[in-house]
Amino acid sequence: MPKNLRELILGFADINEIKDFIDNELRSNKNPQLIVDELSQTLREVGDKYEKGELILSELMMIGYLASEVASALKPHLSGIGRRSRGKIIMGTVRGDIHDVGKNIVVMMLQADGWEVIDLGVDVPPEKFVEAIAKEKPMILGLSALLSSTLGEMRNVIEHLERNGLRDKVKVIVGGRPITRMIAKEMGADGSAEDSVAAIRVVREMAGQGRAT
Amino acid sequence: MNHRERVLKALNFEEPDRVPVFENGIDTPLMEKITGDSFPYAVSRQSPVITDRNHESKRVDLRLKCWRRIGFDLFPIDLSTPDGWKPRMTPEGDMVDLWGRIMKLDKMTRAWIPYSTVFTDPDDYEEFEFPDPLTSGWTYALEYAKKNLDGEMALASSLRDPFAHAWEMFTPMKFVLWMYREPNFIKKVIEDIADFNIGIIKRVAEVGVDLIISSGDYCDAKGPMVPISFFRNTIFPNLRRQVDAAHKYGVKYIKHTDGNINSLLPDLVDIVDGCHSLDPSAGVDIGSVKKKYGDRLVLMGNISVDNLAMKGRADIVDEVKRCIRDASPGGGHILSSSNSWAAGAKLENCLAMVEAGKTFGVYPIKMK
Repeated sequence: MPKNLRELILGFADINEIKDFIDNELRSNKNPQLIVDELSQTLREVGDKYEKGELILSELMMIGYLASEVASALKPHLSGIGRRSRGKIIMGTVRGDIHDVGKNIVVMMLQADGWEVIDLGVDVPPEKFVEAIAKEKPMILGLSALLSSTLGEMRNVIEHLERNGLRDKVKVIVGGRPITRMIAKEMGADGSAEDSVAAIRVVREMAGQGRAT
Repeated sequence: MNHRERVLKALNFEEPDRVPVFENGIDTPLMEKITGDSFPYAVSRQSPVITDRNHESKRVDLRLKCWRRIGFDLFPIDLSTPDGWKPRMTPEGDMVDLWGRIMKLDKMTRAWIPYSTVFTDPDDYEEFEFPDPLTSGWTYALEYAKKNLDGEMALASSLRDPFAHAWEMFTPMKFVLWMYREPNFIKKVIEDIADFNIGIIKRVAEVGVDLIISSGDYCDAKGPMVPISFFRNTIFPNLRRQVDAAHKYGVKYIKHTDGNINSLLPDLVDIVDGCHSLDPSAGVDIGSVKKKYGDRLVLMGNISVDNLAMKGRADIVDEVKRCIRDASPGGGHILSSSNSWAAGAKLENCLAMVEAGKTFGVYPIKMK
């Protein structure tokens, strides 16, 4: 029988069983931050396994779903101990592209990893990104696209940020199937990710470098 | 040798006069650019959505004109809406299609794309009014194309794969959740859709198609999207039922899927007649596939759509030469991109692909 959160999540336990486990842990006065740390560690392991081909997409999605449920269950307990989110991230699929499977996995995984994520959805015009960044002042902007045809739109968003004096206020990560490091660099992004697991890694690396100044 | 004869030879693992060339799809804006004609009506790759038969005829006309202008050998066309069906529109302007998918309009490609669903839990499926393959109208576009083609190009019917159908019907997240939590429910849905497809296969065979191209992906860039065990227990048995139905009418069955299909090929080779896409960006090497399965599997694709969008003419010509050198000898090869010509592809690259195919694909293949 699984004895820890990692085993429950990797074993795709029923969400109620996972919530019961968390309740028991909290009742026995376990610091909720330790549970968050365990969740975060599990997600790192999951990311490594996916990148090595030891996990497939449906498994990654299922784990992302369970992890985001755990994060939601822990949220009320974390505010009581003064724990703040790792940072704020705005995400969206750019105008002209309405694919969101990859973006949604990234959102779930980031939320489970302790980030506050504002998801602007799909087919997002550059003006909406600009408005949200000016208002929310996120650490990172994540732009997603599946179609090669919408790469130009990612560039367009970055240009809008420049024109509105916001480019140096936020790190921009572009992600999706057609993205390569070279393409990301050419369009003026700070980082790139070809899939959802890489996106989590890049966000963590970028946060480690601190906020753009 | 006309276009159709060329394709039929290739499908039978014989060498025609040259390698047949085709595309499984071209986005409307690019077809307009190629033909100079305008087509203002929104379409969908996943589902028939045009209810006005005059507009549907124009859709086929545009495609025929485009295919003829390029000089393709194979003409694929998908199903039409059944007679009497009208889509339900949401207050937000989204469309609910025949399969309960809620679709948003992609303004750039003028295509409806699924993003949500009417199904909130598996019980909703019991109330769902499942489409009936016996309703008239499904083959309207095929019949119209068949009449206009008159044997000039080979005719393919595009048919949505039951797995892809269910994945989109429920949204990927709900599909995955229910696949793990309620596997018998998902299995039943896939069986139901396969039954529907078998009914449709009979209808399209009666129209006189040469082949069926089953659309919908099985894989992402890393490999299969769901466990191999799920493929073997649920997806493949239903795929085999459809292929058997097609073969009963003498129709070939090609499976399209993007992504890294290498681990599925040993199973697929025993079920389908050919594979389309063979996505090089996902690590599929057409030369390796040819060596292992080239005597049993017709190969279509492998010209990278990413390269069509981003590289130059010389790169595309080199890529075509590589594909022909590795896959064309002995027949069983139809040249195409690794998906379709998207609105953002460079037209000059797409046309270079075709031109190079016709230049270097003349049999006997001389490239070493």
